Amino acid sequence: MKKKLLATMLVTAMAVSATACGGGGSDAPASSDGEGGGSSGGSGTAITIFNSKSEIQDQFVQMAEKYSAEKGVDVEVYYSNDTVAAHLATRYSANDPYTLSMVDAKDIYSLGPEHAIDLSDQEWVQNTDYAISVDGKVMGFPVCIEARGLMYNATAIEAITGEEFKPEDYATVDAFQGLLDKLVAGGMETPTGIMKEDWSLAGHFLSETYEEQPDVEAYITQLHEGTADLINNEKFNAKMDYFDTMMKYNFAAGSAIATEREVAEQKLAEGEIAFMFGGNWDWSMLSAYDYSEKMGMMAVPQNTSDGTNAKMEGGGSKYFFIDSSESTSEEQRQAAKDFLNWLVLDEEGNKFLTEDCNLVPAYSNISAEALDPLSTSVKTFADAGNLIPNYDYLPDDHYSICGASMQKYLAGQIDRAGLATEIENYWKSTAPVEH
Amino acid sequence: MNTNTASYKCKQYMMFAGVTTVVFAAVVIVPFLYGLYLTFTSWDGVSKSKPFVALANYAATFADSAYWQALGRTVIYSVIAVILVNVVAFILAFLVTSGVKGQNFFRAGFFIPNLIGGIVLGYIWKFVFNRAFVALGESLSVGALSTSWLSTTNGAMLCLIIVSVWQYAGYMMLIYVAGFMSVSADVLEAAKIDGCTNLQTIWNISVPLMVSSFVQCLFLTITRCFMVYDVNLSLTKGEPFNSSVMAAMHVYNQAFTYKNYGTGQAEALILFVVCAVVGVLQVYVGKKAEVSA
Repeated sequence: MKKKLLATMLVTAMAVSATACGGGGSDAPASSDGEGGGSSGGSGTAITIFNSKSEIQDQFVQMAEKYSAEKGVDVEVYYSNDTVAAHLATRYSANDPYTLSMVDAKDIYSLGPEHAIDLSDQEWVQNTDYAISVDGKVMGFPVCIEARGLMYNATAIEAITGEEFKPEDYATVDAFQGLLDKLVAGGMETPTGIMKEDWSLAGHFLSETYEEQPDVEAYITQLHEGTADLINNEKFNAKMDYFDTMMKYNFAAGSAIATEREVAEQKLAEGEIAFMFGGNWDWSMLSAYDYSEKMGMMAVPQNTSDGTNAKMEGGGSKYFFIDSSESTSEEQRQAAKDFLNWLVLDEEGNKFLTEDCNLVPAYSNISAEALDPLSTSVKTFADAGNLIPNYDYLPDDHYSICGASMQKYLAGQIDRAGLATEIENYWKSTAPVEH
Repeated sequence: MNTNTASYKCKQYMMFAGVTTVVFAAVVIVPFLYGLYLTFTSWDGVSKSKPFVALANYAATFADSAYWQALGRTVIYSVIAVILVNVVAFILAFLVTSGVKGQNFFRAGFFIPNLIGGIVLGYIWKFVFNRAFVALGESLSVGALSTSWLSTTNGAMLCLIIVSVWQYAGYMMLIYVAGFMSVSADVLEAAKIDGCTNLQTIWNISVPLMVSSFVQCLFLTITRCFMVYDVNLSLTKGEPFNSSVMAAMHVYNQAFTYKNYGTGQAEALILFVVCAVVGVLQVYVGKKAEVSA
């Protein structure tokens, strides 16, 4: 008797758990709508925002709370450290997309035509040069401007040289090397650092050798067709001359590809080294340490006369798009549009972007006074028109495969000719993203 | 009551295994078949349309030299790691069943690494290899330790193997301990009376009687090594220069990072087939070797 009872109980338990699973699945989209409804009390429109910039997630969540309370629209902010496309893929296959998704520029090209609505008629479009259009329709709302260049610690440099550090004096590799020698003589034995991450080496640095070509599209076509002759390319060599200099004075010269990013950033922040290639997003790491007072970003030094050694690479970074699928209602889309307009056209929204999140605004009507040192440099370059635009159509595996080649070069396993050959071979087997 | 009718059998089955069958089908069979279907499409993971491309993904898989390199690397890694894990586990199991003082404490101690998740474990060991060993090497001026092993091609593989052995040896040890305990004291005593040395007893009596433990351990370690991902990700991330990318990581990159979902899925399927063939073969051979006392 007892056994029978036990068996019945087990079967019931199993049946209950099985039905619970099934039920949960079909409820999923509804419950996520409900999630938004929880904290509101207003009109009941709920929108979800996907944020892919980890460093501003806290600010975003706080802003969402305030925004929800004031505007009567429920805003829920999500973050994931997955690859952006992979994360969105899971949401789309669950038929539960975000109302607003923050993605990288190239994702707008691949996702936009199918998943984004046309924003051409929005007011903010007039205020920016960085919006992304696909097939003649504006689909990507630029969140901020980011640029890549050489980060420096002026406090540390001035402590040794005894004179004011003017980045523009070191636009050529020759002048730059002179300064490095001076620093070494003054006691800073290894004044540079290099991030060994493939996204930095290939995604950020190597891509500059494409972006600085007189005609980027033609050059990429040449690479793809195998006629680029990299090793005799002036830009490639100018950039690699700079890279060699950085390698020579690297604090981790013997173990360059085992350097941890945190260690390198800490050394730069605290003035143990004076230079490292990076971007203004690095501030979120630098500021975690006991950073020096005078820091900034400059153009990468090069022995060239084409003027690129006075410019940084950059432009719009991270883009919002609004979902066009049936899972999102017209009210939600309108609320999302309102939110984007609030960011650009409302003082509170501006304050959120520039002060709370410390982002360089991509809109001409927004002034930003209190940016961090790196972003201040970027803004100066952007305002003066000294940003060379990003090339957003690199294939998805470019950073990884060419990054591996750059790492080999950094480790001394291949020479410049070997690197050139590997990059050429990579390009022959692939094609840039259609655009 | 007639118990030999189809409806009775069906009812019996539904009652005892029905729910499990449904759940198993829902979470294993259906996704597997769906995955199989995806290998014939050029889906990018996000798009609504899944264009049918027949065998193009398999062609791409065979042309993907990085995948075959990763698979070859995985085989080498698995062979070395499986052997080492089992040897270490067997020795540990022998030691903690030989009656040393506090053997339960040792058993727990050796098992603990297995309770730490692979990701965490990878980061811990990354710190050890990158900082602790290097600091040690520099202060004692030992050349082999003064640069991080993770920065060389072979070193990174070695690190992966070391960490895997550390992680799995304790778990496999438990299975071997159970094996040792299952060998009856009578046969061991008989062997002793017949004049066997300790080593002879282990080799000729214990080992043949615990073949099922070996089969289990080998199966578990082989499948886990072939599918290794978490430690791979947190310890080396494929570095240096993608020379430590294992098959599973390559599949992930192919599908999600490079957005070739179909090709990634096809590669995953081939990895599954390789893994299944090796696993089944090993169990089949192992079962044949089993003896009963």
